[in-house]
Amino acid sequence: MQSEARALTGVPGLDQMLSGGFLPRTANLVEGAPGCGKTTLGMQFIHYGATHGEPGLILTFEQFPEQYYRDAAGFGWDFRDLEQRRLLQVIMSSPEVTKADLERFNGRISGLVNSMGVKRILVDSLSQFERLTDDPVELRNLLHGFLNALRREGLTALLTREAYVLLGDESHSDDETEENMSFLVDSYIMLRYVEIESAIHRAIIVLKMRGSAHDTHIRQFDIGPDGLVVQAPFKGREGILSGTPQYMAESFIKAFVRRG
Amino acid sequence: MEKDSLANRAYTGDIDPDLLDFLNQYVDSFIKWDLMRFFFNNPHTIDTVDNIARYAGRNQETVGQELAELAERGLLEETHMGALVVYALSADPELRDRLARFIQASEDRQFRIRAIYHVIKGSY
Repeated sequence: MQSEARALTGVPGLDQMLSGGFLPRTANLVEGAPGCGKTTLGMQFIHYGATHGEPGLILTFEQFPEQYYRDAAGFGWDFRDLEQRRLLQVIMSSPEVTKADLERFNGRISGLVNSMGVKRILVDSLSQFERLTDDPVELRNLLHGFLNALRREGLTALLTREAYVLLGDESHSDDETEENMSFLVDSYIMLRYVEIESAIHRAIIVLKMRGSAHDTHIRQFDIGPDGLVVQAPFKGREGILSGTPQYMAESFIKAFVRRG
Repeated sequence: MEKDSLANRAYTGDIDPDLLDFLNQYVDSFIKWDLMRFFFNNPHTIDTVDNIARYAGRNQETVGQELAELAERGLLEETHMGALVVYALSADPELRDRLARFIQASEDRQFRIRAIYHVIKGSY
């Protein structure tokens, strides 16, 4: 049996980390501190799809669509043009409306999947679901239903979520949602700021990828004029970047491992 | 009375008939104007009154009334999703085109002054 083609992210280096991209019809979480590149990664994923035969949706719960058009233009991605060509639609809504829409027969999202042939969706951000309820069990059920509805529509989803950790030293050990989320999604990517030699670097790691092998290295990434570019693992560059391997190891532990 | 009518003509006389018709049909308050601009800039928004009011930075009660009126007049679509009532811009391409023309015309100061006067005085 031939395996289905993977959904390439279009991020140089990341697809190699994911053994060739996301598996189709999966829910993929990208979690990270504010400003570390979650939305840019998501837009890159959507732009790559829209320009390679996989139309996409951006479902925004926070930012206005205008901000996506503007930010995308900064990377040379013309989202307005893609919208006119029916390869993209940036929808502003709220979690409660989206949930209700997906629950009804032939809702708006379902209609777009059929009429535009949508294959990808960026949900920015999943954190907004957390304001619907304080009950972790109810939230888990709500998210479970939402992610299953996206899979039912045949969508490969990239979901962003705000991390409370900025530099790794502000641990939130009671973040029950984070634990729930990691069970519900098919892959889990973390973006972090790492401080090395008084400079802030961005780091990426694929923590989980259901049904696939993946790279387990912590890699540096940059946001350049064309979007995200994942670099070589930090490991091999310890001497160049820090000169203090011991210090770097501590940074990683703080950034990626939650304190008990 | 005659003085008023002369003033009205001075302010609205130069307005493109289609834009004047659009003003008469849809724009009878500044909140509506604001909401139209919001939907023009974010054309695929679909949400409840309270969320749209939050996005627009306006009072929920006022926005609710204005959204309902715009839906009655056909510029917006009102959909019931279970217990939720949500609003979205009409999918009618002709209506979207007329809205785009109005918002683009509003960028012009002269037109804007005339349109503001029109909203303040009511339709003619």
